[in-house]
Amino acid sequence: MMTPRECFHAAMNHEQPDRLLIDMGKHIGSIHRHAYVRLKNYLGDASMVNENNILDRMAQTVVPDESLLQRLDIDFRWIVPHWVQVTERDDVPGYIDMWGVPYKAREDWDHCVVDGSPLRQATLENIDDFQWPDPRDPEQFKGLRETAKRLFEDTDYVIGADAIKAGVLMNSLQMRGYDQFFMDLVIDKPFAAALMDKILWTLKEMWSRYLDAVGPYVQLVYLTDDLGSQTSLLISPRLFREMIMPRMKELHDHIKGLADVKLMFHTDGAVLPLIDDFLEMNVDILNPVQTSVTGLEDTFALKESFGDRLCFHGAIDVQQLLPNASTEQLEHEIALRIYDLGRNGGYILAPCHNIGHDIPPQNVITLFEKAREFGRDPAALKKIVATGTPYFDRHRADD
Amino acid sequence: MAINDELYDAIVFGERDDVVEIVQEAVDHGEDIVELLNVTMIPALREVGKQFSSGEVFVPEMLVSARAMQGGIDIIEPLLARSGHQPIAKICIGSVAGDLHDIGKNLVAIMLKGSGFEVDDLGVDCRIDDFEAAVQRGAQVVCLSALLSTTRDAMRPVAEHFRSRNEVKVVVGGAVITQEFADDIGADGFGFDASDAVRAVRESLGLAAIAA
Repeated sequence: MMTPRECFHAAMNHEQPDRLLIDMGKHIGSIHRHAYVRLKNYLGDASMVNENNILDRMAQTVVPDESLLQRLDIDFRWIVPHWVQVTERDDVPGYIDMWGVPYKAREDWDHCVVDGSPLRQATLENIDDFQWPDPRDPEQFKGLRETAKRLFEDTDYVIGADAIKAGVLMNSLQMRGYDQFFMDLVIDKPFAAALMDKILWTLKEMWSRYLDAVGPYVQLVYLTDDLGSQTSLLISPRLFREMIMPRMKELHDHIKGLADVKLMFHTDGAVLPLIDDFLEMNVDILNPVQTSVTGLEDTFALKESFGDRLCFHGAIDVQQLLPNASTEQLEHEIALRIYDLGRNGGYILAPCHNIGHDIPPQNVITLFEKAREFGRDPAALKKIVATGTPYFDRHRADD
Repeated sequence: MAINDELYDAIVFGERDDVVEIVQEAVDHGEDIVELLNVTMIPALREVGKQFSSGEVFVPEMLVSARAMQGGIDIIEPLLARSGHQPIAKICIGSVAGDLHDIGKNLVAIMLKGSGFEVDDLGVDCRIDDFEAAVQRGAQVVCLSALLSTTRDAMRPVAEHFRSRNEVKVVVGGAVITQEFADDIGADGFGFDASDAVRAVRESLGLAAIAA
């Protein structure tokens, strides 16, 4: 029987592994702390103690307990950089991240949202005057080498370097203000370029230090940005190729020059028109294949078009499916995605985003149990897939 | 009055300086600014909305066009008010309680303003009281936005609050909103995107949808 790490290598080579790889627990792919408590109560599992061990402060997700990862038979273990250079706000509940972006907590710290843009008034001349994060901060990756080494030597799990959770576009939008930076991309290209270059330089410096610590032990790295909305791209393919893509590619090439790793790239939204570009950007794995958006519903077609060159991570919807589906609907959807994407390797099943507190615990358990069961032989799912109506078809039929 | 091609193109292509210059010139020459607004400016922004819906332009170009349009509106707004020009209708818009996302809501507000509505933008994290106060100030349509499935349920009590009042229409939209959900909570309309929201608002008021 293949170990998870052997399955990963097979799947990345587009060969059928012994079993489907299943993931949960990284940034933009963990469980909200309220949902975590509900899951803990549902399972009656007193060993789950991490409800206040926050992974992503903005989303208020947790670092899942090892006992839960084992119970759900998760194949991945994620190494997570520490929050550094964060300051607490004294005007409202919230914090200011290392990029100077203020966040405001929703009532009871349910989640936090961007609440201001530190570079809204900046000019090309004074970008450098801003207090940029210090990429040499030794605290950011402290202790991660030891954790990664231990996991590498003592376990068979796939080990991933979790995101620094920053990207050239996302950070530019947050630091400058969404509306202003979108306009900069069209009417003030020199400023937009200078801001993205500064972010790019900072990220490259951070990744150099990060992979210096964990590079020999991790099999993949995870990068996050956002390029799509529910129905379309945020920016045109032409503008993406002109302004964004060269910088993303530079970061990816830099990272791949530092360690022998597969690169997983996160972007939500309707990004089908950019998938060839992602391949040019040296992306190996696309996350999260948001199946609720325009163009990504048809994962069979996606696999047919790109499956020999690109691997997929995600595809289990958290916007409509997991909160609302019956057990029967959920099982059909799991079978469908594994059949579409999991044949000949190249697929890691995971929820498309964080598991929020609108998702019933029983659907979380059904998801991981059925994924394990169905993942043994994706090709054999043809019969299940052929009967019944796919969840999103049913959804459309109801409209 | 014929369409002003130069002004129309300046809005579509987001050339704010040109818009300001052309509109100022029209004002200086005593041209009919209501006509200018209705025949050239509103159709120009509508064209941008149409191109946005069909995927020809994206958020950056739409924002740049809206900024150009605003450059012209800033000049004529005080004159319109003085001449007693009435907007199509007064609407209010806000992200519902607990939802602090506002880029989608801002785009909808821009499109509605640019389509001849008076827009009372209530911002984010709005409660029933905020919407009620806006209705007291004259809003005929209440537009609700939500991005998250965890916050969309906050739309339901707002829709219920206004359900028995025929003179107040409720229109909803946002990433996780579907026609099915809109029907379920008894909303009067659902906008699929920023451009479609204008259609939904017009239809909720019994105005014919403008042919694209």
